[in-house]
Amino acid sequence: MQGEPNQLKYTDIHEDVVRSIVETGPNYYVALATAFALTLICFFFPWFYQLYYGIGAAGMNHPNVWGTYLASFIFWIGLSHSGTLLSCVLHITNSSWRKAMYRSAEAMTLFSLVVAAMMVMVHVGRPWFIHWTLPYPNQMEMWPNFRSPLLFDVMAITTYITGSTVFIYMGSIPDFAAVRDRTRGWRNTMYSLLSLGWRGTDTEWHRLHWAYTFLAVLIIPLAVSVHSIVSWDFAMSIVPALHQTIFAPYFVVGAIYSGTAGIVTVMFVLRKFMDFGEYITELHFDNLGKLLLVLSLLWSYINIVEVFTGFYSGASGETEALRYRLFGFYAPLYWEMITFCAFLPLLCAFKRFRTSFVPMLYLSIAINIGMYTERFLIVATSLSRQYLPDAWGLYVPSAVEISILVGTLALFTTLFLLFVKIFPSVSMYEVKETMNTPKKIPVAASGGSLA
Amino acid sequence: MTHFVVGLFGDPESALSAAGSIQSADLGTPELMSPVPIEGVEEVLGEKRSVIKRFSLFGAIFGGVSGFLLAAITAVLYAHPVGGRPIITFPPYLIITYELTILFGIIFTVIGFFVSARLPNGLWTSFWKQDENRPYVPEAAVDKFAVSIGCGVDDVQRAETILRIAGAEAIRDGTEGAS
Repeated sequence: MQGEPNQLKYTDIHEDVVRSIVETGPNYYVALATAFALTLICFFFPWFYQLYYGIGAAGMNHPNVWGTYLASFIFWIGLSHSGTLLSCVLHITNSSWRKAMYRSAEAMTLFSLVVAAMMVMVHVGRPWFIHWTLPYPNQMEMWPNFRSPLLFDVMAITTYITGSTVFIYMGSIPDFAAVRDRTRGWRNTMYSLLSLGWRGTDTEWHRLHWAYTFLAVLIIPLAVSVHSIVSWDFAMSIVPALHQTIFAPYFVVGAIYSGTAGIVTVMFVLRKFMDFGEYITELHFDNLGKLLLVLSLLWSYINIVEVFTGFYSGASGETEALRYRLFGFYAPLYWEMITFCAFLPLLCAFKRFRTSFVPMLYLSIAINIGMYTERFLIVATSLSRQYLPDAWGLYVPSAVEISILVGTLALFTTLFLLFVKIFPSVSMYEVKETMNTPKKIPVAASGGSLA
Repeated sequence: MTHFVVGLFGDPESALSAAGSIQSADLGTPELMSPVPIEGVEEVLGEKRSVIKRFSLFGAIFGGVSGFLLAAITAVLYAHPVGGRPIITFPPYLIITYELTILFGIIFTVIGFFVSARLPNGLWTSFWKQDENRPYVPEAAVDKFAVSIGCGVDDVQRAETILRIAGAEAIRDGTEGAS
């Protein structure tokens, strides 16, 4: 099929999306099996090893009691940010270019949150006590401390996972109904249940519009609060380079930045391997490129402020932490981060670059490598240089930690591969809204409950 | 016994026009089924109101109050005095309040949507038995626009005529409860 989206018919998008669900080639199974195997080998086996031998299997020790697990937690929470948040903002502002890409972006949010929650369980060492973070009556008379940012995290992430799940599901109900009518067997059963009996009546559309808009309005401030709260996990500690008021906006901007880069990666994969070239076009990459440019400038500004205020404070602990980050053991990582996240994205100033798919893919991957490095540096360099020199230390991740880091990518990929075969990856009804209305063509009077 | 007459249209304008004609002819309020939301439905069939916003508001207030009470009552029951500071500390508890405001706002919005859209409905169980009480045409999920009207047996002919005049590409009818 060739042509611009407006030359397509309603049936074209319908056929393409249903095909992406029901027709599965061998490459998909190979990709799924590989991702699943990597998840087992790189994520679950090392985790079980750590559970068996204790948290000492990780490289964390005094003073670096936080390591890559928490860096991964911040990274995945950050990656979750652009999906639902961007989708909500673009829905409220009625931006039509959102419609082809938001479903996958929201799925990215959901699975990133799942991976982030898993990282908390890996980090705590004894995940079977994770329910102690929840307020529930118990014989120990032990209740959570609601003054702790860790409890804020539990509340915020629980709310965000709930909101993101509900948001992606509500927006998918009409598409589940459309797929329901085209499938048989277990798929028909599944989509019948998921679509809840949707018929596409004027009343149902009206209610969906309002519910969806209310959800978007509720989720936008929630998304901002979630990463602010994650930043307070660090900023509320009295550690040089962590105890900073700028951390909340710094984390929120960083989260949206890495999330937007993640969307570019996912869009490229969908376009290339799910054959959605008709719907995910240069326009999407162009707009996402502009967004990346703006976010990179914001992110650079906050980094300059962070360096300047550290220098200007004149506090010995603060300036030592700053010097260590810029010129110490981890300095190569710092300058790699600056190159990938501050300089490379300036290429997005050129439209030719923004509308080139492969260069944009490389850039998006580079940005996320840089953003992971940022989170690692926040955790590692700050704890390595606290107030007293006898409390200084060095942190290098162990093989278990590195393996689990790789495993998180495999886990996310596995979940996403399962998603593309269950959910319509492109929102059919919203893409149809951007097309011309169908012309009058007589239909055969068959099918339906009144046939 | 109610008879359903459903007209299938290829474009939303014709479907809207047919719905307007059905309503003008005092045959009742028709139901439109479409693959996308149709603009201008409310101008033809009248303004629609939903209770969703009330659910959202109630959920948000309920969540906010219960969030603050959860944190405050926990602090009072399991007091942990720190340096003479107040037991109930507003700044951190406002965050718990805020998060639960949003959480219950979301949950009640979803409940409000299900209640006002009357979902899940009988078609939910279509893999056991198709619900005959609610007309449904699968083409309306793809590229057709359907106008459905439930009327008495005497009005079926009139409804079909109106739908045909409005440009229906196909007309189907059935009876409520028919198997």
